[in-house]
Amino acid sequence: MNTVSSPVPPAAAEPGHAPSYLQDGHGIKSWIMTLDHKRIGVLYLISILAAMFLGGLFAMLIRTELLTPAKTVMEAETYNRVFTLHGAIMIFLFIIPGIPAALGNFVLPLMLGARDVAFPRLNRLSWHLYVIGALFAVYSLIHGGADTGWTFYTPYSTTTTSAVVPITFGAFILGFSSILTGLNFIVTIHRFRPPGMGWFRMPLFLWALYATAIIQVLATPVLGITLLLLIVERVLGVGIFDPTLGGDPVLFQHFFWFYSHPAVYIMILPAMGVISELVSTFSRKHIFGYKAIAYSSVAIAFLSFLVWGHHMFVSGQSPMANMIFSALTFSVAIPSAVKVFNWVATMYKGSIKMDAPMTYTVAFILLFGIGGLTGLFLGALATDVHLHDTYFVVAHFHYTMMGGVLMAFMGGLHYWWPKIFGRMYNEKLANIASLMIVVGFNITFLSQFIMGSLGMPRRYYNYRPEFASYHQWSTAGAFLQAIGFILVAVYLIHSLRRGRLAPANPWGSATLEWRCASPPPTENFATQPTAGDPYDLKPLVFDPKLGGFTYRAESAEGVA
Amino acid sequence: MNSEDDRETRPVPSGMTRSEANTGRFGMAIFLISLSILFAASIIGYLVVRMRAQLWRTTNLPPLPSGLWLSTGILVACSVVIHYALVQTRRNNLGAARKFLLAASVLGTGFLVNQFVNWLALTAAQMPPTARNLYAFTFYMLTGLHAAHVIGGLVQLGVVTRRSFRGAYTAQYHPGITYAAMYWHFLDAVWVVMFLVMIVQN
Repeated sequence: MNTVSSPVPPAAAEPGHAPSYLQDGHGIKSWIMTLDHKRIGVLYLISILAAMFLGGLFAMLIRTELLTPAKTVMEAETYNRVFTLHGAIMIFLFIIPGIPAALGNFVLPLMLGARDVAFPRLNRLSWHLYVIGALFAVYSLIHGGADTGWTFYTPYSTTTTSAVVPITFGAFILGFSSILTGLNFIVTIHRFRPPGMGWFRMPLFLWALYATAIIQVLATPVLGITLLLLIVERVLGVGIFDPTLGGDPVLFQHFFWFYSHPAVYIMILPAMGVISELVSTFSRKHIFGYKAIAYSSVAIAFLSFLVWGHHMFVSGQSPMANMIFSALTFSVAIPSAVKVFNWVATMYKGSIKMDAPMTYTVAFILLFGIGGLTGLFLGALATDVHLHDTYFVVAHFHYTMMGGVLMAFMGGLHYWWPKIFGRMYNEKLANIASLMIVVGFNITFLSQFIMGSLGMPRRYYNYRPEFASYHQWSTAGAFLQAIGFILVAVYLIHSLRRGRLAPANPWGSATLEWRCASPPPTENFATQPTAGDPYDLKPLVFDPKLGGFTYRAESAEGVA
Repeated sequence: MNSEDDRETRPVPSGMTRSEANTGRFGMAIFLISLSILFAASIIGYLVVRMRAQLWRTTNLPPLPSGLWLSTGILVACSVVIHYALVQTRRNNLGAARKFLLAASVLGTGFLVNQFVNWLALTAAQMPPTARNLYAFTFYMLTGLHAAHVIGGLVQLGVVTRRSFRGAYTAQYHPGITYAAMYWHFLDAVWVVMFLVMIVQN
């Protein structure tokens, strides 16, 4: 049907005999100039893991500094820069591109049974832009970094002497990278679906990536113009955010959050997509409420554009605007709760297997639940005025961003690791590490909910001694997480060489990417696969000889 | 999906499947939607600042240059000409198409030159981009943002024109001309909206 996505290579039709994409070409150039979506996905994976490491390092510096109420290891000015860099790096370089650009790039064409994305050159360009944007962030870092907080609020950001321009320019370039990825995904999903895959036969991860891509394409340009205006104002000393000229600093906040609130859904929607895949596979059950989950992704994408004002309840907005934004904010809870309900219903009476991806999935559902429900405290006007700019907010968004997105990223990373690198990781170590991360996470951030509700403001360098014990718990939890993440790095790197060779379908999932070899050959599929129900797990049986799942003999046409 | 049903009955261009041609146009359309958000945000920002301002154009600053009308005329003409380039290509009048493409390149360059002349005139009339005044700043911001996108369009149009003279396109296969036409119509529409907003607000 679709000639672009169904190349018919003459030989090498047998999976496992064709060389994998990892062996197809050696040397640095074969990687950084590649057009293969799988290699680009791996490049993204390496880049975002490096960013995550850097951002994590800054997080540990913050927690170390906050161990005591006064100075612990660094000066106040340094502290301002460290928390800014932690936020900016984690948001722009890790969480936003994390799941879509790294895992999505690798998995999306495979899930469609396609050869590649619609525009491979744009795909490569978007990774190159990512690297250039990251280099600007590093350049800013070398020049002392910015001290504005990751939101770059005017007028402080237009007057401070720290290196604001390079890091905002970096974020500006990263925006292009994000738009190109979104554009590519929309077109690919529209045009490259295989025979048998109507819109409602798509894996839910693709629905999530599609909804994400719409936000990326429609919201990111607003960030672009905002940061551009900020840079122009800093360079020329004149601009529309300057109140002395009749400009409006609050306009910056409107513009910034018009992008950055939808951006939190750019982060969480792909995570929800990953969870939808994992929860079905590891419960050995068909997903419950497929259409409800698919529609709720689109509903969240739509609502995401209407709630930015809830970041600005204390900025002097009119009470009417506040009330409207508050009501719209509550409405986001509906599609989010629909998803959680369906995930839990999928697990109900399933034969749940607590492999590492599932541990992270369960953690996601729990932690995202806490993060989402505490969002209601912040969406309510009366409580928000009290909680605004306290650690309650910090804890809330870490529960959604880290407890949500990061847990799903870790789950997805473990789930697709065998497909990406063709090796199994050590399951026992993975379970121990996931436990350390989840427990450490809760110690770190539950204490922040408490101190936030007691009035501990965020971003402060010194604090009153009565908050000391909460901060110490929080720091202890952070160190536990750090050990957990180091353990993950150790066993994943170890698995690259020493891990058991992965079967094509180690988990027994029915989506198409598990029908090609692990790791896949460059061409992905020798023949165009036909898609069936992506969550029909019944015909898949475990074959001890393969160490993985295969289709029952009677449904042999399903085998690649 | 419905559009794929009639694929068998319509001629498939050489060198590119119909599916690929549609994919390219679809991607371009999404790109233009994204860009239109960029311009919409800029114009909304302009309007917000304009509404807030007590005093917009102080008496020492010149009004908007009348050269902007000329710019508008040139850009509309460019858009029309490039449309005919596409029409002639589809009719296989490749020679005429080349001339239209060349004319479009000249008009596009002319627009940019005229914008530059407008800026120079304002700078000469004591309104440089660094004048500490939002009337001045927003004018340079909007026209500058548009001009930056015109430069991008000129690069692509130049490449397409060159390739057309080398015979790279046929009546069936001409993705570059299609993309150029889409992009220049977009630039034209953005400019007209932007220009009208500025006229009305001043």
